[in-house]
Amino acid sequence: MNAIPQLFFDAMSLGGIYAMAALGIALIFGVMNLVNFAHGEYIAFCVFALIVPSTDAVAVMFLGKAPAIVLIPILLSIGAAVAVASEFFVFRHMRNATPVAMMISSFALGFVIQNSLLAVYGSRPKAISLWPELNTPVSIVGASVPLLQIIVILTTLAVVVTLALLLKKTKIGLEMRAAAENFTMARLLGVKANVVITGAFALSGALAAAVAMIMATQTGVADIRMGGQIMLVAFIATVIGGLGSLPGAVAAGFLIGAASVILQGFLPLEARPFRDAFLYTLVIVSLLLRPQGLFASNSAKPRV
Amino acid sequence: MSKLGVYDVAVRYGKVPALTDVTLTIEEGERLFISGPNGAGKSSLLKAICGAVATSHGRIEVDGDLLTGRTPEAIARLGLTMVPEGRDIFGTLTVEENLRVGTGIRRDKSAVENDIEEVYENFAILGERRHANAGALSGGQQQMLAIGRGLMTNPKLMLVDEPSLGLAPNIVDQVYETLVNLQKDRGLTLIIVEQSSARAARVGGRMVLLRGGSVVGDGDAKKFAESDVLNEAYFGTDKAEASS
Ligand SMILES: Nc1ncnc2c1ncn2[C@@H]1O[C@H](COP(=O)(O)OP(=O)(O)OP(=O)(O)O)[C@@H](O)[C@H]1O
Ligand SMILES: [Mg+2]
Repeated sequence: MNAIPQLFFDAMSLGGIYAMAALGIALIFGVMNLVNFAHGEYIAFCVFALIVPSTDAVAVMFLGKAPAIVLIPILLSIGAAVAVASEFFVFRHMRNATPVAMMISSFALGFVIQNSLLAVYGSRPKAISLWPELNTPVSIVGASVPLLQIIVILTTLAVVVTLALLLKKTKIGLEMRAAAENFTMARLLGVKANVVITGAFALSGALAAAVAMIMATQTGVADIRMGGQIMLVAFIATVIGGLGSLPGAVAAGFLIGAASVILQGFLPLEARPFRDAFLYTLVIVSLLLRPQGLFASNSAKPRV
Repeated sequence: MSKLGVYDVAVRYGKVPALTDVTLTIEEGERLFISGPNGAGKSSLLKAICGAVATSHGRIEVDGDLLTGRTPEAIARLGLTMVPEGRDIFGTLTVEENLRVGTGIRRDKSAVENDIEEVYENFAILGERRHANAGALSGGQQQMLAIGRGLMTNPKLMLVDEPSLGLAPNIVDQVYETLVNLQKDRGLTLIIVEQSSARAARVGGRMVLLRGGSVVGDGDAKKFAESDVLNEAYFGTDKAEASS
């Protein structure tokens, strides 16, 4: 038995999912101070896009049947399209609204998406099978790990590295970082607000699609409620990470994933059903100690 | 045609009027100081010109092109750049990244690297710290960076809001020296908000005096500096600096 590597892979893969979901939220918050609570519903939308629209209890795979090389780019595009559309039809008209008004409308949008899914697919969770072979365990450093976990970890790393390179090395990345820090100043220097915001939504939506694929494979269920659950954790991760900080969102996502797995592994048996109470206690403690977030940088404040 | 025309412009923040019926024109290559007491509307005027705040009345034109209804990013493309009060540098970006943010609108991409080196020649300290986070620069260095960042958009018209704010006098001298040289080299049209009429007179140029959101004076900066009456009225006494 090799419990430590096992825990490590569990923690990293769960953390990876949280990190990607948190990144999607932090990206949007960075450029327009919007906590987009519809983000979880983008994930649910992408999961349901895999199956034939019907209220039948048995799901028939539709897009989900396509080979990975076709499915992955299409689903990423669907996620991006849903996010960009929600910006175009809703958030674009609220640029001058208060952050609270924007947040409320993102809730509303989330409910609209969720209820549309409900109308088309019915409320019962459906068993789906996306890449079931990925759940077969493989042996690695003495632990028996589902292949998917390794893929999730590698995917997260790839996403984080790609995003970091994009932000660091490209023109739109530089403009996004400038806009995230001071939107008006960036615009005064000619940075196009619409391009930067649309870009951020597209990236955020694609991240939601990536999370959707992982969750669909891992859980084998399409559930109307799955968006809300992951959204809650991801939102907490962005707050703990320091709202708007991308490295913070990633780190906090991994941290919450790890804490959750470690609590599951080491809490006394009787306490395990209440794991989330312990987890959220840690969240409260962390916010009490560092209300600005664990990774908020102080460098943004100019010294005069 | 004037480089910049501001006609009957009004700006209000909710119910608070900041500018009322401001009219002024500036010719190509001119240097215009805007002065006046705190709250006179100097920053609001500059923000209205660059599109950062909306006008509630009137017209603003650059080279005869109407700016009303254009976004700040569209106005920047007309060759107008703003160096705001408080600098607003991007503290989480490096010095060099700050300089590059505004280069996206340039058509002459090949000249960008050259221009960055030129900024480093003008402000040696920025070259030394090109890879440092801009947030770690001192106030004076940030002012230089903000000016350099504006120049990197390759502007024809540059608005600078209180470059002397919070800087030691010798640094202010240096900033003005550079601004004047840049203007000569590039044929820039410059609008500078400067509270000190003595400073404006020493640098030289035209001066417009704002008070309570309206233009109350327009003429040679030297004329204003010599007029104690105006100094008393608008700035409190300014003689100490004028005689130094
Ligand atoms: N964002 C804002 N919201 C509400 N009122 C504002 C805002 N900005 C400026 N004002 C008001 O508009 C008027 C003009 O302000 P403005 O900043 O243009 O003056 P200023 O001449 O630049 O002053 P200072 O010398 O202090 O920089 C003031 O009465 C100010 O209180
Ligand atoms: Mg001002």
